[in-house]
Amino acid sequence: MAPEIGDELQRIPDEPLLPIEKKLILVSLVLGASLLGVLWWVSVTYFNVTPPE
Amino acid sequence: MKDWFKSEDWWATWIGLFVFGLSLAALGGVDLLGWGIDTRVWSSLDQATAPIATAEAYSNKDLPPDFICLYKSLPGIISLSLTYVFLLLVLSVGAWALGLNVPRFAGSLTVIFWASYLCWLVGNYVYIAATPNRRPPGVTWSLGLTGEAGFIVALLAGLVIGNFAPGMAVRLSEATRPEWYIKTAIVILGGFLGVQAIGDTRLTQAILFRGFAAILEAYLIYWALVYFIARRFFRFSREWAAPLASGISICGVSAAIATGAAIRARPIVPVMVSSLVVIFSVVELLFLPFLAQAILPDDPMVAAAWMGLAVKTDGAAVASGAITQGLFQNQSSGPNWMLMTTTTVKVFIDVFIGIWAFVLALVWVYGINKKEGQHVPAADIWQRFPKFVIGYFLTFLVVFGLALAFRASPERLATLRVATTGSNVFRVLFFVMTFFTIGLVSNFKKLWQEGIGRLAAVYVVSLFGFVIWIGLAISWLFFHGMRPS
Repeated sequence: MAPEIGDELQRIPDEPLLPIEKKLILVSLVLGASLLGVLWWVSVTYFNVTPPE
Repeated sequence: MKDWFKSEDWWATWIGLFVFGLSLAALGGVDLLGWGIDTRVWSSLDQATAPIATAEAYSNKDLPPDFICLYKSLPGIISLSLTYVFLLLVLSVGAWALGLNVPRFAGSLTVIFWASYLCWLVGNYVYIAATPNRRPPGVTWSLGLTGEAGFIVALLAGLVIGNFAPGMAVRLSEATRPEWYIKTAIVILGGFLGVQAIGDTRLTQAILFRGFAAILEAYLIYWALVYFIARRFFRFSREWAAPLASGISICGVSAAIATGAAIRARPIVPVMVSSLVVIFSVVELLFLPFLAQAILPDDPMVAAAWMGLAVKTDGAAVASGAITQGLFQNQSSGPNWMLMTTTTVKVFIDVFIGIWAFVLALVWVYGINKKEGQHVPAADIWQRFPKFVIGYFLTFLVVFGLALAFRASPERLATLRVATTGSNVFRVLFFVMTFFTIGLVSNFKKLWQEGIGRLAAVYVVSLFGFVIWIGLAISWLFFHGMRPS
């Protein structure tokens, strides 16, 4: 089993990033960054449990 | 319908619900689980074990006078033996339904149960477990790790066997099922946390929403970054990069397998990624809780959410939450809120695995490997949905609903606490067995011999380079300042 997996990893073909993969990465990151602000605002506005200073 | 009885996931749900159902008999005035073993911090072995019926919840003055509990005088060893027999029977039924070799399973489980319990017992030794405020007279020092130290002892014992006595680990393999044990524990945990949630419903709602928000963020940011690094800098093919990104960034084993299936990768790919995930989750489990305690001493809820976001696999994540809550036990926040936070984050992650795998399947079928006439049915989401999550929310909501309904009745609330205390015995034991078996399957030497250094390199770079730190930042953003009373 050992050499098979090592060989398998050696044989991985070089595949350039396709436009659709770039799009998936970009959309995911942009969505993540924009939702960060929205969800944080909803959290502090509607689910705030921090005691007053 | 057959699927309902053919997967480990479903059997975790059934067993968890069965234990939970038995515990609810307490509401009718009859305690069916009071014989379960309770382990206390001990300096002499005769103090170490007793039936759970001797615990504080069973002596509550609010309990109705006709409440029937027959087990208070049971000797600890009988209680422990009954607990073993019960687990053996229940799990063997599951093993039979799953098509395992039942005699072999029963033999392996027996060793795993007793070895795990021994570790739990060692972890409860007063010099290891007692916190400074709870040291008995005559004990002048202790590590103060609480009984949760038993989890670490179990993990270390499992690691020793897995790495230095691999033959024995193989002989125990039929019952070496950490994912099954932790999923069952999580179903039972739902009820235990449900009764806790009644203490502060606003906080419960906040944990649920913020937990959801945190994991949505983690999914979108983690996955894209790990996939990009694996493809661009480590030159992995799509077949390797996608399961690797899911395994490292999302939820370890389940995510790697679901992603592998979604993009139609060869079975070797998710299997190798999963092996790596288990190894690294052990490493995380051993140091992240202590790091959290060191850098977040005043933010226990951030620490708890961080464990859920950063530690992979259900077993290691919830287990690290348990260790972290033990380390923060002297904080003003109730320790169970921390466990609820880690579990909620982890469970939401599991829910999203199915959805993310579905999204990837769409991208692969309609974009990357586009072929005429191929389509992805929406039923795939359900197929990939982790079913034990249903059990977790069910037990949580049932107990939470009952606790809300009983709020005006101290008697009924006291019986509900007895119910969840009784079932919690089994939750703890499933946790300990999870730790022990995680250790058993983590064979570092074998993995190294298999030559997966390149995979491990992506893992190290991603995990220690940004997954852990982004997880910390997201946890801080959503949980900073939460101070339950």
